[in-house]
Amino acid sequence: MLRESSNAAENEIDLHDITEGYRHDTDIAHAELLMGFAEAVARRDENGTSAHRQKMLELMGEPATVDAAAIAAAFHGFVRLADAIGIPYEGAAGGTDSTEMRDEIGISDFYRAQNV
Amino acid sequence: MAGNPFPDSPYDIRSDLLSAHEAALTVIARPGTWLTGEQRVWIAEEVRNARNCPACAELREALSPDNLSLEHTSLGNLSPAQVDIVHRVVTDPGRLSEGWCRRHIDDGMLEGEFVEMIGVIAMTVITDTFAFGLGLPEAVLPGPAAGEPSRYLPPGARREAAWLPIVEPGDEVPEDGPLYPTPTAGYIHRALSMVPQSKRDYWNLAGAHYLEGKQVYDFGDSGRAISRPQIEIIAARISALHQCLY
Repeated sequence: MLRESSNAAENEIDLHDITEGYRHDTDIAHAELLMGFAEAVARRDENGTSAHRQKMLELMGEPATVDAAAIAAAFHGFVRLADAIGIPYEGAAGGTDSTEMRDEIGISDFYRAQNV
Repeated sequence: MAGNPFPDSPYDIRSDLLSAHEAALTVIARPGTWLTGEQRVWIAEEVRNARNCPACAELREALSPDNLSLEHTSLGNLSPAQVDIVHRVVTDPGRLSEGWCRRHIDDGMLEGEFVEMIGVIAMTVITDTFAFGLGLPEAVLPGPAAGEPSRYLPPGARREAAWLPIVEPGDEVPEDGPLYPTPTAGYIHRALSMVPQSKRDYWNLAGAHYLEGKQVYDFGDSGRAISRPQIEIIAARISALHQCLY
């Protein structure tokens, strides 16, 4: 979805950012800030979340901050649904993710990929 | 309906998002298909408790969590199996396994109960994570509503693609109620389909946070205050941090 939406918006992305964290090659606006917020929320880091939220409010505004929190929340639900029901990976992202891409950016090293 | 879950919020939260939260809290407390309202509220309470469980912290550090047998610190309302499901799904979802899932079923948990639990857990995680992201207090869980579970089992549910049965698009019957907007709904949409009401409740909440079904494959206007690539970079990073293949 990230790749497809970035292609549609003509944004450059480095998919390694997803598995390794922001590395400056992605040109999505405020990508570093949004990824930092996502990481702080995922780690339930109150101070980090608060600091990123304040920065988002300053740079992106309140509606964007609320929507960023909503997206972060949604994906904390989706991962639990997918991982607890054991749905197959095949077909994710409309079936467009290749084995080569998964290997290259490290998704194939995830625990479940190694323990099926 | 439960009232405004964030009455003291300094933020102007979209009305559809607030409504989805109110609806989620209301349905969590209602009798479900396999669980009573009381059990469902207990599950939501245990979700919050799991974050501070010492055994879960130890399991997260273990190389192979399935090989350790530790006693979770629970609130004492749920069975040990239910507690294990709540705690593992909340604290270490990326390392769940089919063996772990099927052991609970082999030990006597009904598949429908398992699936419904996952729906309640995921909804609670969404509501609480949204509050956490905005620095708001977690919503107060409503008291349970009286009534008996319906115990409705969709005749089309079968275990084939996933660890638990799902109703594939095309296998629905009218008694299931609406399940899929399109016959090409992805597996994430099918995950809770063994318990149709749980699926509808979950997606009512999730859709308001992410995108409604018809928007997912439209990469133009996101309809949100952040762009679609901004949405997806948050989504992808969170999935990766949870080691989620999907």
